Amino acid sequence: MSLKAPERSVDPVDSGGASGTPKAKKGRDSGGSMVAQRRKLMIPFVGPALLFYLVLFIIPTGAAVWISFNKWAGSGPMTWVGFSNYTALFKDDLFKQALWNTLLLLVVVGVVMFVLAFAMTLVLRDMAGRKIARSIIFFPHLINALVYGVLAGFLFNPGGLVNTLLKPLGVTDPPQWLAQDNLFPLIMLTLTFMTTGYYTTILMAGVDRIPPYYYEDCAMAGANAWQRLRYVILPLTWDVFGVCAVLWTISSVKIFEIVWVFGGSSGSGIPPTQTWTAAVYTYATAFSGESLPAYGAATASAIISLALVTVLVVLIRRVMRRDVIEF
Amino acid sequence: MTSRSARSKTTIAVAGALAFSLGLAACSSSSSGGEGDGKSFTYWSMWKVGEPQQKVIAAAITDFEKQTGIKVNAQWQGRSNLQKLVPALNTNSVPDLVDGPYVKAYPALVATNQALGLKAAYDMDVDGQKVSSLVPEKYLKTINIKLPDGQPWMLPYQIQSDAMWFDAAKYPEIKANPPKTWDEFITVLNKIKAKGDEAPIAADGDIAGYNAAWLSTLIVRNGGPGALMKVAEDKTGQAWKQPVALDAAKDVEQIVKGGFLISGYNASKFPLQQQQWAVNKAALMFNGSWLPTESSTYRAKGFEIASFPFPTTNDSHDSARVDFSGFMVPKKATNAGAAEKFAAFFLGKKYQDLYGTQAKGIPVRQDASISPELAGVQETIKSASSYHQQNDGVAFPGYNEKVFWANSDQLFLGKMTAQQFVDAMVKDQAAYWKAQGK
Repeated sequence: MSLKAPERSVDPVDSGGASGTPKAKKGRDSGGSMVAQRRKLMIPFVGPALLFYLVLFIIPTGAAVWISFNKWAGSGPMTWVGFSNYTALFKDDLFKQALWNTLLLLVVVGVVMFVLAFAMTLVLRDMAGRKIARSIIFFPHLINALVYGVLAGFLFNPGGLVNTLLKPLGVTDPPQWLAQDNLFPLIMLTLTFMTTGYYTTILMAGVDRIPPYYYEDCAMAGANAWQRLRYVILPLTWDVFGVCAVLWTISSVKIFEIVWVFGGSSGSGIPPTQTWTAAVYTYATAFSGESLPAYGAATASAIISLALVTVLVVLIRRVMRRDVIEF
Repeated sequence: MTSRSARSKTTIAVAGALAFSLGLAACSSSSSGGEGDGKSFTYWSMWKVGEPQQKVIAAAITDFEKQTGIKVNAQWQGRSNLQKLVPALNTNSVPDLVDGPYVKAYPALVATNQALGLKAAYDMDVDGQKVSSLVPEKYLKTINIKLPDGQPWMLPYQIQSDAMWFDAAKYPEIKANPPKTWDEFITVLNKIKAKGDEAPIAADGDIAGYNAAWLSTLIVRNGGPGALMKVAEDKTGQAWKQPVALDAAKDVEQIVKGGFLISGYNASKFPLQQQQWAVNKAALMFNGSWLPTESSTYRAKGFEIASFPFPTTNDSHDSARVDFSGFMVPKKATNAGAAEKFAAFFLGKKYQDLYGTQAKGIPVRQDASISPELAGVQETIKSASSYHQQNDGVAFPGYNEKVFWANSDQLFLGKMTAQQFVDAMVKDQAAYWKAQGK
């Protein structure tokens, strides 16, 4: 069993990459027809996907860049304004605050979540009933953000569950949970709750493919839990962790609905500006409903978010680059 | 060799077919342009199936189809219909008729220069009367629903207004003698506060628009309809220092600092405080004419809903809030004629009565029946000498959400004094207009 495990769990992409070179060499040795065949199949196989990608992603992104240089109410006449949408954004304190909030979510929630996720992988690895435990911790991720928005009222309203439970404990003057200044920390908390299980599950998949004999080695060498994490688990799941970090970066910059439903009557109004993220700023600018839509400014903000994601992802890939350890 | 070329031909054929079908798909979405035959039209409704308003409109559609033979393709989209309309206006498949409130319709259709002038609809006859005579002229003096060429772009069928709502069973004295001026209003609040069994005012402080309504109504009370617009248009922001705005902010501060607002209003989620009001935990609520319907399911037994208009701050300005909701026809509509016919048809007395009694809205026709809860509001509207709109019609891009509401929240939630609020508005508004390139 212990011998089989590593074989089965080897990443298919890795195996393709690792064994691809000798295969290709072999192909070239035997006349190169294989390579030619492959090249020919490239167009019919990749073409449709590429076409869809072009039509659905590349062209709209290009259009967004174009719109961001214009003043436009969504339809009707467009006026070319050059970079002024961008300069206006960087002068707008609210946009800077929204970007700051986005970074707070990315970094603070990200760090807390990954620490929790790693801690849980350690506990869950040799826990009894871990399959059930895994399903349970994954569950919060399946729930629609709207539910959390409604639940927040149920729990944290002045006469809500939390204050009702606090009363017998002698807390007569509980904090104003849902005051505007407390909303953002509450959002961060909820977000941690929502996403930790998801990333724990992915990390667990990485941890599971570590062959048990490494742990047996650890046990024999007398390593403690921290050393096991530091010298076995982290290095061997580094690539999985890298993917998770990239996924989190991408999704955190797009965080929208949780902010939207936490303030402003669970989505029917606009949340207080203190809680806005870049995505909420973009939406409110384009679709506020009670002001003239400013599609130019909104797309400019979206393009800045896109640039931010790109830069962050490249940086993370750089920072996290290690030689993949084969095992 | 032959096999290779055959294969590459197949490749080209497959790719070609795919590209062609994609192209076709792209075309079909925009191929509905051109002139319609006028035998049918498409309607994107702001109501959803099952809502009382939808039922009334659906009943009218059935009668309309029977009488005219025109088929109505109604899509009950709900409140986001106008948001969906904006991108659709860039294609050739646009609905022929849409409806919605002024605040949403103006940005979506008029600011984008996509609204059709509805003179033809206003010239039609309904119940033997001209449609234009059914939309009271006096509303249109301060509420501008006209295009630059003088044609109206909306045919309103309902009005939303606001009032101070209370339980007449519990406060018969307020019903008999409602406070008319701000000072009288404060006296009433003090009396309720002194009694101590309920808070004087309920408010859902998490809804920025509700919070701002206090301030914007007070500004309109101080300076008449258009006063807030004038202040908001000031590129330097200095207009906020004038008494018309500063006094209004001080009045809001008085409400906040006076301890008249229900405890926890600044840290709760809608509709909690509205529900508290409905079960007599607070006496008054300043809210829209939709409140009787919205609170109907949870109002305490014996709650006799009644209202009085927002108090005046001086003798000259007693305008009533009139927010139109109505029908619009996009310029690109291919069956505009048929759509206008239905818009006019819906102003028939039968449907306006149904709208008042069953959908419990305020019909735009003054001779239409109305539910007892809204009779007071309708009376206020009829007797008012002038009219104002929600936000006083201010709709500059992002201004409400990013500048006005953000600061008025701070004032209403007690985190800023009137003076701090005014200073913040001067600064933020000047920055706003500068960013707009003005």
